[in-house]
Amino acid sequence: MKYFVGIDIGSTAIKISVADENKNLIGHKISASGSMFYKYAQEALTELLRELGIDEKEVVYTVATGYGRKLFKEADENISEITANAIGAQQAAKEYGEIKTIINIGGQDSKAISLDAEGNVVNFAMNDRCAAGTGKFLDVVAMNLEIGVDELSDYHFKSKGTPLSISSTCAVFAESEIIGLLGNGHSVEDIISGVHYSIAKRIVKLVKRVGVKENVYFDGGPALNGGLVSAIENELGHKIYVPKHPQITTSYGAAVLACDAFFSESES
Amino acid sequence: MNDEHTIETPKEKQNRHKAMEAIAVLNSLKEDFKSPIKSMDYFYDLFEKVYCRHEPLHEGKTKIGTMCIQIPSEIIYALDGVPIRLCNGFYTDDEIGSDLMPSKSCPLVKATVGLFASDNFTDKPDITFSPTTCDQKTKAGAIIGSLGHTIIDVGFPRTKESEESRHYWRESVKHFAVELSKFQGKKLTRTNLESAIKKVGYAQSLYHKLTDFRKNKIVPILGVDMFLVTNAFFFDKIDGWISAVEKLVAELEQRVIEGVNVVGKASPRIVYTGSPPIFPNYKIPLIIEESDAIIVADETCSSNRMFNDMVAVDEWNLYDMMDSISDKYLKACTCPIFTQNNDRIRRIIQLVRSYKGDGVIYQAFAGCQVYEMEQRSVLAAMEREGIPILYIESDYSPSQQGQLTTRVEAFIESLKNRKRMKK
Ligand code: SF4
Ligand code: SF4
Repeated sequence: MKYFVGIDIGSTAIKISVADENKNLIGHKISASGSMFYKYAQEALTELLRELGIDEKEVVYTVATGYGRKLFKEADENISEITANAIGAQQAAKEYGEIKTIINIGGQDSKAISLDAEGNVVNFAMNDRCAAGTGKFLDVVAMNLEIGVDELSDYHFKSKGTPLSISSTCAVFAESEIIGLLGNGHSVEDIISGVHYSIAKRIVKLVKRVGVKENVYFDGGPALNGGLVSAIENELGHKIYVPKHPQITTSYGAAVLACDAFFSESES
Repeated sequence: MNDEHTIETPKEKQNRHKAMEAIAVLNSLKEDFKSPIKSMDYFYDLFEKVYCRHEPLHEGKTKIGTMCIQIPSEIIYALDGVPIRLCNGFYTDDEIGSDLMPSKSCPLVKATVGLFASDNFTDKPDITFSPTTCDQKTKAGAIIGSLGHTIIDVGFPRTKESEESRHYWRESVKHFAVELSKFQGKKLTRTNLESAIKKVGYAQSLYHKLTDFRKNKIVPILGVDMFLVTNAFFFDKIDGWISAVEKLVAELEQRVIEGVNVVGKASPRIVYTGSPPIFPNYKIPLIIEESDAIIVADETCSSNRMFNDMVAVDEWNLYDMMDSISDKYLKACTCPIFTQNNDRIRRIIQLVRSYKGDGVIYQAFAGCQVYEMEQRSVLAAMEREGIPILYIESDYSPSQQGQLTTRVEAFIESLKNRKRMKK
């Protein structure tokens, strides 16, 4: 068997996806990147292959992506995370339909990507200047409210009152706003749905910069948060598609590209 | 993943956006200041009911929309209608209206147009009267009509002093009364008009009592709360409003005895003038009062201008009453749409004097030509009088908050400084 590896080295996490010859996702792994990310990336890959029972020699092509991609010398090729994201999204949503717009919320930034009929990236917009509208923001909120990030969604749907908007765009100021709201006896549920709507509004603004075309695909860790998904859908006025493993679309895209690259190379 | 949750309809989304705008401001009013007033709860609840829960107030009643204060509410009450003033402060609606108006337009007018365009009212007016005051309002009336709403123009003169204007306006008011009376299938009589004048007059007298408290050295009520109270008059049931304000007056009397101060001892006293703050666009008033100053008086059409002057009737017969009503709306109006508007300057100076204002803050909506234009004469007059004044332009968008705050804070600090120097 031949296997293809996509490795996405981001600022907070390393994500690895393994695909087979049919570009199906066989397995994936997410681990913290940290200062020694090169070493961690190596270790994580070895571990994943062992878990999957794949011999290293069976891995015939590796593509790296993400901020740290150029430092991962073992890769046969590297591509930008925008392209990888686009390829991964199309492959992951194959059964669902053609993807024209991608929303990606990462740990440190958020992106909107617009694709043409062939799936090429025609435009993208990015917010990397502040934590608002990123996964980091949700982490801070959950921490302030003393709940887990994975609980945010449940709270969102339990909100009965008006969502309380958070006006600060900065995570630090938002923190004090949230503490203030809590102090005045507002419900955690309404605060959380307010936070989700604040992020959603910002994301939708970003998406509008590249133009909203259906279908819309949403990936990145925060896409696991159903409350946030619903808020974005409401702000957008469209349904959005969330893949089964939204955190690894980009590394999966790299693995898919690895597969394509391998076969086109061996053909020529 | 991909749980099936339904997506909001455009109206639901608009309602949620408005609820979010509303609740944020209401929470600020309730929570950001020391010594909250118990009887303000009526008003907080009222706005929450209408703008967060979207519960209608006037089911079964005929609602008469008005595009500006110039439409006499006395006549509407006399003819058994509920006046709903449609001057709108929501950014959500402003954004909707932006598609129908030139980009540099008044946010208030855009928001009103947006509300009609979305046709999403809590209390939908059955008919709307549009006085031809400023250009944007006048043209907005036509846009609203073209969207399929019933709207009737009421000609309004743009010079104030002349006999012709006075005559023209009196005719316009009569025309309005005739139209409304046809619409309502009800006759205007001496009795129903007299009692409406008296009821509105009583509401005005309550406003005067309220605002008199602000002349005190220790001010028992915030300017933002006052704006909320006067804003409620746009759409509330008049009897509900009256009894709530009676309670408020009683509570403030008590506060005066107890010496409850809503701000600090050194907080500068501000007279507010310009484009009207309309809920939930309390951006500038909130910035002012959160920067340790207090608004002690205002010269705006969402508050003072709505209540200040009473209908003065000599003979309680229908004709005299009608003329007195017309005169009150024209002569007393200090809106900058008039060619000459020295009355406005006189009014501001008089407010500064009688409310012991330390300075004036003049807000113009970006896109409102007349307020922007009148800025020069007002600034010059204040300079002559030695009254410090800050001029700011703003709109409904939440974006420039930081900059505005810095400017307002700097002005307030300079007023504090002046006060200290004087001592
Ligand atoms: S600013 Fe003038 S024209 Fe506009 S609503 Fe107020 S009174 Fe009417
Ligand atoms: S603020 Fe200016 S443009 Fe807007 S309604 Fe009033 S006068 Fe007209």
